[in-house]
Amino acid sequence: MYQKKNSWKRVFLYLFVFIVCIVILYPYFVMFTTAAKTDGEMYSTAAASLLPHNWQWSNFAEIWKAAPVFSYLMNSVIVSAGATLLAILCGIPAAYALSRMRFKGKGAFLGAVIMSQMFSPVVLLVGIYRLMTDMGLTNSVWGLILLNAAFNQAFAIWLLRGTFTSISPEMEQAAKIDGCNTIQSMIRVLLPMAAPGIVTALIFVFINSWNEYTIALTLIRSDVLKPITVGINKFYGFNFIQWQYLFATSLFATVPVIILFLLIEKHLAAGLTAGGVKG
Amino acid sequence: MKKQSFRKTIEPYLWLLPSIILMVVLILVPIITVFQTSFCEISKSGVNRGFNGVDNYIAIFKNDIFWHTLGNTALWTVVVVVLSTVLGFILALVLNQKFRGRKIARAIVVFPWATALIIQSLIWKYIINADYGALNLLLTKMGIIDHYVNWTATPGMIFAWECWVGIFVSVPFITFCVLSGLQGIDQTLYEAADVDGAGFWQKLFKITLPLVMPSLTVSTVLSIIYVFNSFPIVWTISKGDPADQTHTLVTYLYKLSFTNGRSGEAAAVSVIGFLVLSIVAGGYMILSLRKEKQEES
Repeated sequence: MYQKKNSWKRVFLYLFVFIVCIVILYPYFVMFTTAAKTDGEMYSTAAASLLPHNWQWSNFAEIWKAAPVFSYLMNSVIVSAGATLLAILCGIPAAYALSRMRFKGKGAFLGAVIMSQMFSPVVLLVGIYRLMTDMGLTNSVWGLILLNAAFNQAFAIWLLRGTFTSISPEMEQAAKIDGCNTIQSMIRVLLPMAAPGIVTALIFVFINSWNEYTIALTLIRSDVLKPITVGINKFYGFNFIQWQYLFATSLFATVPVIILFLLIEKHLAAGLTAGGVKG
Repeated sequence: MKKQSFRKTIEPYLWLLPSIILMVVLILVPIITVFQTSFCEISKSGVNRGFNGVDNYIAIFKNDIFWHTLGNTALWTVVVVVLSTVLGFILALVLNQKFRGRKIARAIVVFPWATALIIQSLIWKYIINADYGALNLLLTKMGIIDHYVNWTATPGMIFAWECWVGIFVSVPFITFCVLSGLQGIDQTLYEAADVDGAGFWQKLFKITLPLVMPSLTVSTVLSIIYVFNSFPIVWTISKGDPADQTHTLVTYLYKLSFTNGRSGEAAAVSVIGFLVLSIVAGGYMILSLRKEKQEES
């Protein structure tokens, strides 16, 4: 009797998970199949089918010629890598001070970091645009690097501080007794131990910068400087949308990021909430 | 000796300095500019014609589209945050069970979180297209509809789809926040409850919910902020149209500033947005913290 009830529960559980997964995967299925359809098949209702009649794999080759997709992807790599590096280089010393030192204004600083999350770039665009004009950084990847680094600073500090706090300071104290100064003990002792947390923060900031759209849309004018999220609009004309190219390009922009994300998924949610609860 | 202690006092601040410079220059300065701009007359070409008091605010308050947009924004934030929190919570409870294929299911749930919002929005725009969209095709093939439905016939329908996409992309974050809270719960609590003969709902409300509350509070506050400020979904699917009926505050201010060249009014909308968001997010945080403290004592 008990067994039976339990197996019904099992069936419901599997059914629920199955439906959720199907719903989540549906847009990706659409993206993939549409990317491989011919122009004719795309727009005719009569010939429409869920899977392409003849898979047009050449779409995946043609996008590179139809638009500067390679330079879009390279710009995304440069912006994301630059922003990640800057955000982590500024974030590590800050997180170190927050987890290892006592000083006045610590609470205020943490509060300000959390508050900064409330001001998303889009709400500040009027001010950001003015600032970038003054600095001569509109239409420049440098502007995007700086802005992405700044707006991800909170996450970087949040995640790194969580990791540093979870590591006991005893080893560093021992290193200091052996003659290391603070910076040496941090680099030689703490950072290697915190490597998994640092990698999580690196990947998370990278993905956020990679997926950023609004700032780049507003600031970048030249086609050759656009990151991929803005560049794909090339296939999205006023009168004519080349959905198959749009989605073929989107796949190149999406798959690597999902793989990166899967690598850190386990650590990420724990890090984000832990930082928040402790903060 | 005195020098030494002075160095000790300022040392922590030196460690914070790079981070502070980055955030002050790129976040605080724009915040100040936005506040200033909201009290200035800005010409269409972006020239500052000087202080004009609260004229921008008056212009905004007199505009019916603004009030409609404010209502939309409230609806959008409440619908998306509430539904995705409920769904995310249920999904986390399910994914916390042991079953075959759990790892794969968890990996799939991550997908929408990792995908650029602009790409996700473009796919859904294609799916709901009335003439050749994937949803009509799917439903026809399944025999559920026999002629193509216009899914975007009214502003209300468009807005409902935008809310759906918002929920779709918000659920994974909440699910993983709750999962991290669930994994911290001591299993012996449930065993003890079983011995006492507690049912499913009792365990849910007396053990699970109170213990994941801290994680849930964080995820809710962050979700409120992200959803309120979310730009790509609405901008991609409808650009706030038809006739500015489907705007939220952020798409409205973007259009004011970068399409209509009314930066002063856009800045005023930004400031109103901050104020509303601080009250809502701050209020929520204070209320839930107070509740936690009461329960502790």
